[in-house]
Amino acid sequence: MFCRNQTTRATIARGSALEMEIRRGKFRRSVFLDTLQDSNIQKKIDHEIRMRDGACKLLAACSQRDQALEASKSLLTCNIRIMAYMSELQRMKEAQVMQRVALRSSDAGPTDDRLPCKGKVAISDLRIPLMWKDTEYFKNKGELHRCAVFCLLQVGAEIHDTDMVIVDRTLTDICFDNTIVFSEASPGFELRVEMYSCCSEEDYSTGSTSRKLASKLSSSLGRSAGKKLRVAMDPGACSPISNGGGATLLLPLPTVVGPKYHLLAHTTLSLSHVQDSFRTHDLSISGNEECSHWVPLYGNVCCRLAAQPHCMTQQMMSGCLKVKFGGDPQSWTNVYGVLKGTNLFCYHRQEDVEANIEPAFTISINKKTRIRASEKDRHNKAQSICISNHYGGEEVTHTLSADSREDTHRWMEAFWQQFYDMSQWKQCCDDLMKIELPSPRKPTLVTSKQGSLYHEMVIDTSDDISTVTDILARRMEELELRSQLGTSPPWMSLFEESPGCPRTHNRLPHSPLRCPRPGLLSSEASLTSDSDSPCSTSPCSRYSGWAEPLSLSSPSSHFRPRTLSLDAKLSTLRGRGYGGVLQCSCQPPSSSSLAPIPAQCVPQATLSCSSSTSSNSSSEGSHSPELSDGTPFSRPSSARQSLRNLRAKLDPRNWLQSQV
Amino acid sequence: MSFIPGQPVTAVVLHFQLSCALQQRIEICKLRQGEHLILGFSIGGGIDQDPGQNPFSEDKSDKGIYVTRVTPGGPAEVAGLMMGDKVMQVNGWDMTMVTHDQARKRLTKKNEDIVRLLVTRKSLEQAVRHSMM
Repeated sequence: MFCRNQTTRATIARGSALEMEIRRGKFRRSVFLDTLQDSNIQKKIDHEIRMRDGACKLLAACSQRDQALEASKSLLTCNIRIMAYMSELQRMKEAQVMQRVALRSSDAGPTDDRLPCKGKVAISDLRIPLMWKDTEYFKNKGELHRCAVFCLLQVGAEIHDTDMVIVDRTLTDICFDNTIVFSEASPGFELRVEMYSCCSEEDYSTGSTSRKLASKLSSSLGRSAGKKLRVAMDPGACSPISNGGGATLLLPLPTVVGPKYHLLAHTTLSLSHVQDSFRTHDLSISGNEECSHWVPLYGNVCCRLAAQPHCMTQQMMSGCLKVKFGGDPQSWTNVYGVLKGTNLFCYHRQEDVEANIEPAFTISINKKTRIRASEKDRHNKAQSICISNHYGGEEVTHTLSADSREDTHRWMEAFWQQFYDMSQWKQCCDDLMKIELPSPRKPTLVTSKQGSLYHEMVIDTSDDISTVTDILARRMEELELRSQLGTSPPWMSLFEESPGCPRTHNRLPHSPLRCPRPGLLSSEASLTSDSDSPCSTSPCSRYSGWAEPLSLSSPSSHFRPRTLSLDAKLSTLRGRGYGGVLQCSCQPPSSSSLAPIPAQCVPQATLSCSSSTSSNSSSEGSHSPELSDGTPFSRPSSARQSLRNLRAKLDPRNWLQSQV
Repeated sequence: MSFIPGQPVTAVVLHFQLSCALQQRIEICKLRQGEHLILGFSIGGGIDQDPGQNPFSEDKSDKGIYVTRVTPGGPAEVAGLMMGDKVMQVNGWDMTMVTHDQARKRLTKKNEDIVRLLVTRKSLEQAVRHSMM
């Protein structure tokens, strides 16, 4: 009944479709030589088979639900890939046969088949809206019915999967953040989007039975009885894997106990759906409410499907040319021409192309351009090519001439090919569509619960200090604006211009002790009294730091130059606050911890200042944007209760402002 | 607005209708500055923020999203957005019950070049209220 096939170590039912395929493959392979492509595909198939075995083992071994879901997803993906590769192999064999037959019969005329160039097709930002019934919300109290969902995207034999998303009734849309790029797609591509779902409940044995029955079974049967039932419900030793609408192929599998995904919806996208923006497409839904894997789909899928044909991104032709403008017979210019996209760029020299120097001029080659080869010119031996465009209302003609006849011919060929590509890729050749490659993950910043400065600033690792200080400078302006509103608390006056306080570097306080204004609470006084000479530089610098936090580049002798360290900038800005954070506590905290650095005596501003002061001193002069302690803006553990309350009240982080 | 018992309250109803009608639709085309698409204004507020510190809101328990600053000459100013406007919707997304970060994200989606805001302006409401008194 079963025979062991040598190419695959799996048992296959004799007479099954798979066996026939393999037999045919073997037969083919023996008659014709393996081309390189075949061996590539064969390698891929072998790789997928190994992956599948691994996934099976993992599925059998894992105990946790989400692991099982992931393993099952990999299994399904592997199966589908294997089948896609096999059908690709089949197709290639058949094509080879047809070719040989054609050659043999030699009745095929000159094959004028012009093939369009390939291109990159990218699909991103998949979003599938859901439509939960209100009964889901109101009746279903307690347990949340959850499903695991993922999508498979297929162009030809290339299959990509998205990440898996767990869906429950709190989700209004299923969003897949992945950007998937297919590198070699022809203009007639068909991108098949399939959505698979699996019920994410505890008991997987109920598989495809209806939910009502499943809940009855799981609640009513005991363990052993359930197991028996499970085996009975599994269709024999093989599990049917549907080919998404195609023929069902029996792939042998050990009895897989675990979550099974089912096809929930699918759609096919092609060139006509390609656009440089989001579009909504219809989904064909298979399955209904009774299925355990049901997710209430609205019926649409939104995504961005972009295509970059190679004719738009690559240099299709390049070479030396002579160009003449209009009909002027004498003005031949020597250029190096590069045909790319909808333009023929003419550079003075070939080196300019690599050097990214602007071309001398550009001739556009688009759908409306007309190109013809003209008769032999009296002056030149070779034919010349006339390119005419309409710019505005005028017709502008350029005449090109290549060095030799063959070159002219090749240029004409390139132009024809370009026109053909543009006619095949249609709207993709109007403008170059952007395809964003998924960037490496940005490091997630540590955000304290209260929302620190980091919470509202997204800092790229590639950003340099100037970007950050720009952001900070903007916040400064916001702060100033807020103070003009007249609703600022009294301590905001600290930041206003006053003759007493040092505003510029020049007017440094000779005694920083006089700096604080009477409007401030007593802690200021305590600050000043507590800060004695050894540390007089620090508060002084902080004050002047507050005054001009970002232009500390000209240090004076009176205070430590906090120049380019990001710590300094952030700390001084923190001192000023984004919203006026300088809370003055009513009482100074215990002065025991004061000592050289008046750490706790002032308000949070200085607290953070001090924390970054300490870090600053260690990183002084260095340009590292990282603050040395882990959470520089976290509340110090020694803060008092009263301080905490007041801080909470006055904490401007409770009313963030963001620049958009 | 005093309420006299026995008298119909149509005046109050009219006020509500009028203030609803005084919502502005503002369409802002984002400006590209290098890598970033900017709108040219700042927002404050959100359901995770302390509404008592909102200088623009009439009702100090209003946790909505307010425009706190408009960059002069920026796209928002050109489109007619003003400081103190309360943002009700952005491109159809509700902004009255969102966190601060959600609001910021809805405004700064990279794939959208145009944002259409629905805002209410306090000055208009006040004008109506004053005119009714």
